[in-house]
Amino acid sequence: MLSDQLRGRDRVARAALYVLLIGGLVFVVGPFVWMLLSSFKPEAEIRANPPTWWPHELTLANYGTLFDRLDFPTYFTNSAVVAVVTTVGNLLFCSAAGYALAKLPFAGKRVLFGIVLGTLMVPSIVTIVPLFVLSSNLGLVNTLAGLILPYLAQAIGVFLMRQFILSIPDDLLEAARIDAASEWRIFWRIVLPLCRPALAALGILTFLASWNNFLWPLVAATEEETYTLPVALALYAIGQNRTEYDILIAGAVVVVLPVIIVFVLLQRHFVRGIATTGLK
Amino acid sequence: MPRRPDAADTSAPGSPPDAAPNRVPADPSEASGPTPATPSGEVSGAASGEAPGSAADSAAGSASDVRSSRAPGPGTAADSGVVAGPAVGVRSGRAANSPRGGLSRALTGWGFALPFTLLFLVFTAGPVVMSLLMSLTDLRGTDLLNPFNVNIVGIDNYVRLFSDAKFLTAAGNTAVFVVVGVPLTMALSLVVALGLNSGLVRFQTVFRVGYYLPVVTSIVAISVVWRFVLQPDTGLLNEILRFVGIDGPNWLNNQTFALPTLIVMGAWRNLGFGMVIFLAGLQAIPKDLYEAATIDGARRFAQFRYLTVPMLRPTMLFVAVITTIGYVQFFEEPFVMTQGGPLDSTLSLAFHTYNQFGFGNYGYASAMGYVLFVVVVLLSIVWFRLLRSNVE
Amino acid sequence: MTRRLLAAVAVAALALSACGRDSDGGGAQEGEAVAGGKASGDITVWAMGTEGEKLSVLADAFMKENPDASVKVTPVPWDGAHNKLSSAIAGQQTPDVTMLGTTWVGEFAKTGALDVVPPDFVKEADFFPGAWETGVVDGTAYSVPWYVETRLLYVNKSVAEKAGVTSPPKTWAELTQAAKDMQAKGGAKWGIYLQPGQMGAWQTVMPFVWQNGGDIYDGQGFTLDSPEAVGALEYYKSFYDAGLSTRDRLREGETEPKLLSGEIASFVSGPWHIGLLDELGGEGKYELWPMPTGSGDFTSFIGGSNLAVFKGAKNRDAAWKFVSYLMKPDVQVKWYQTVADLPSVQAAWDDETLAGDAQLKVFGDQLDKAKAPPSIPTWEQIAAGIDTELEKIAKGTESAADAAKAMQSQATSIGTGG
Repeated sequence: MLSDQLRGRDRVARAALYVLLIGGLVFVVGPFVWMLLSSFKPEAEIRANPPTWWPHELTLANYGTLFDRLDFPTYFTNSAVVAVVTTVGNLLFCSAAGYALAKLPFAGKRVLFGIVLGTLMVPSIVTIVPLFVLSSNLGLVNTLAGLILPYLAQAIGVFLMRQFILSIPDDLLEAARIDAASEWRIFWRIVLPLCRPALAALGILTFLASWNNFLWPLVAATEEETYTLPVALALYAIGQNRTEYDILIAGAVVVVLPVIIVFVLLQRHFVRGIATTGLK
Repeated sequence: MPRRPDAADTSAPGSPPDAAPNRVPADPSEASGPTPATPSGEVSGAASGEAPGSAADSAAGSASDVRSSRAPGPGTAADSGVVAGPAVGVRSGRAANSPRGGLSRALTGWGFALPFTLLFLVFTAGPVVMSLLMSLTDLRGTDLLNPFNVNIVGIDNYVRLFSDAKFLTAAGNTAVFVVVGVPLTMALSLVVALGLNSGLVRFQTVFRVGYYLPVVTSIVAISVVWRFVLQPDTGLLNEILRFVGIDGPNWLNNQTFALPTLIVMGAWRNLGFGMVIFLAGLQAIPKDLYEAATIDGARRFAQFRYLTVPMLRPTMLFVAVITTIGYVQFFEEPFVMTQGGPLDSTLSLAFHTYNQFGFGNYGYASAMGYVLFVVVVLLSIVWFRLLRSNVE
Repeated sequence: MTRRLLAAVAVAALALSACGRDSDGGGAQEGEAVAGGKASGDITVWAMGTEGEKLSVLADAFMKENPDASVKVTPVPWDGAHNKLSSAIAGQQTPDVTMLGTTWVGEFAKTGALDVVPPDFVKEADFFPGAWETGVVDGTAYSVPWYVETRLLYVNKSVAEKAGVTSPPKTWAELTQAAKDMQAKGGAKWGIYLQPGQMGAWQTVMPFVWQNGGDIYDGQGFTLDSPEAVGALEYYKSFYDAGLSTRDRLREGETEPKLLSGEIASFVSGPWHIGLLDELGGEGKYELWPMPTGSGDFTSFIGGSNLAVFKGAKNRDAAWKFVSYLMKPDVQVKWYQTVADLPSVQAAWDDETLAGDAQLKVFGDQLDKAKAPPSIPTWEQIAAGIDTELEKIAKGTESAADAAKAMQSQATSIGTGG
């Protein structure tokens, strides 16, 4: 092991590395730390120029206002339901489609994959209005289903899973086929377990995107009860001529916490996941 | 920064810009090209010359897992409703290229792909086609109730783009963003990943989460702190420069420096994502190769140059394409920090498109969106040519 | 959905021959009358920001008076509200009543989605003329002004005193002199802060055009390059050339501390800054000056928000009844007490709450002379073009005459979207 061969030069290198990495770390976490600390400052101090770091005046009022003015349980539940269902759906459908594209020969496969890739690159703002008109015709406006369905199976997920599944040895699957297993069984019992890292990766990416999604939930919900957290936060914190920083900052902290928790929990898998997507 | 009415639709706190990786190799087959890591490389004998050691390990491991989980043979066969004996015959019959085999293959394939394909066609492909059609008309916001009563102008919108001074300025700025920003971000994330991967550093999780935080932190918090750092009189950066005797400019309000400043900010913000991917790529390079090189007397830097870099090419390609896509669609930083100023020096194509949508020029703006699309595809092709993985 | 698909295919087939816009009907239209009596049924209302949050206070009072009616308010974030309204119109998922920014009326009216204001129900004469104009498109009234705002000069009291400026400047020359004095003798680094271009700067600079007797649009064509307009732009430029205003843009949160510390002697803004400055402990440290006058009738910008009823409203009569309820002077005063929005109804200003407040009086007087930009669908785009040229003037890269020419040609080529 490399660590066994730690010589003098390595010790110096290690010290230098720590210095650099910690220095860099300070830079990257700075705004996050400021955000966290500021959520405990009174609003005037948050707006202070130059900004303060440690609160001159510690207060929980921002969180109080946040939970008082916002119907937090409703928005949180909406966000959570949409994010979880979207994530689970993507995990299931994208892996199935990825498996098909990777390992099952069928007519039209290349065309499908081409179309999927092609649409990946269209900026989302371009499609919002047509998507809303479509949803309206399908009766999906102002429903959680309407928030979920357009993002329930995304091209990115299919691409990731396809890449990953490509790296599963064909012989494994052939052996299973010879043993008379159905494709579904092969998929469920062999492929998916092997894909765990990629699934974790897809899970965290989908959760992140869904949790933070703003534009579509804004447009697709016509009543406040269907709003998700980012929409509600923007509503209460951002005014026509002034921003209410107390709610905005406290809200930003609350909104980012689940994301960080999910990331910390899954990042172990995530790293291993991309590793075996064939990008060594 | 007060968000005016119609302000950022990406204003959601912490919305990661393009964090969801948009990988778009232009040629699908290229996508599967720089493949696989370990298992199939070894087992199927498609020598990619990569990591034979660990390949054998993981392949054997997974193979034996499969076999052991399927020990109860007849049971399995019975589950799938086919008896073992004749099943083999049927199976091999199916495996052969018979028309019936082709049909059932197609059915199976489409069966798996169906849920995704349905959702995709309805909710993704549909709106995309609609907006493509939109770009061929002069549809404006005021036509929304009568979308079919518009004039079809063909590629007129696309042609008009190239005589739009703001579009050309935005295109130039975006080009700079991409040409400078992508290598910068990649280099930074690679350096961090190398450092963390060197085996010399503990507290991996802390560093990983820390460096990823800019990706998830709310753009509001980020903008406040960055603006403070960049203030001309009291800002941190200029104070440090004053220490060394340099009189720093008003970074964000300066025509020459605003764009580079935003590039640095973009790199700072996006390096976390690249770092995670590089970490993964680095960890897949087996340690024995490094040990062998060390035994052979190769110094650290030589090891990096001749061992790490070549094996990282596929990963680099991946990061390059994703980061490029992110920078071609560079929006949040110019929007929040400078609103495209001063004097349009930081106006990005995505921002300009967003504005045009705001004005209600739907047809024109859609055309711009598709130009962005074409640019990304072209750049991806370039990256694929440049970073094509060599077989060692 | 099938019907729509078939329709889409049919249209596509006829595309080349059938496509094309109808020419405008033209001429002012009259709204349909609203039946009398109390309101009944469900009324859905969309309102942005704080107004959306607090409107339920007034809605409850309305429901007390009209027990058969039920008002449901859905607050909408300002962020993305424009997108949301456009999508709702496209997807025909609009509420009965919506709040609109004054500069959005032209565009949304043109979609054909807005109902014409009923005659004799909501009276034009009740409102500030500038405010009423914001709801009128091509001579037809499509929305009603709900609350207004206008712009004034906020001035640091002690700096002005030190500089010997005792009364608000009444002319352009006096304003320049005041700024000079406050810088030279009052101890300020900048005599005035005028937004140097970029988004929204037109709201600070077009008033100069109006003060000078010019205008943006005279009903026939754009007049951005008239001598009056050029003169106004040169006046704007003079502040930067004389070093009276900084050429660098200040962000939210930067102007207030600088005004209170005296680094900036004055800036132009609206009523919301009263709250912002007071929260930073500035109460009593600043005063409000009206904008200077010239040969024109109007001296400042009027903005705010309007209320409109959609043509597709499910409960039209009740919707208009709710709107007219919100226009009653006592209700407008109550609204001011709830969210500090300035009433658009002139009679409301006679109430003690407003008439007795010295600061508000300055705003009230200014409102009589405040003007709005033309209610045309393309205004946002033209305004953006103006902002770009204004930035060039402020940074010193373009002369006022050239900027005026550029603004005029851009506006003309964009057109009025009519």
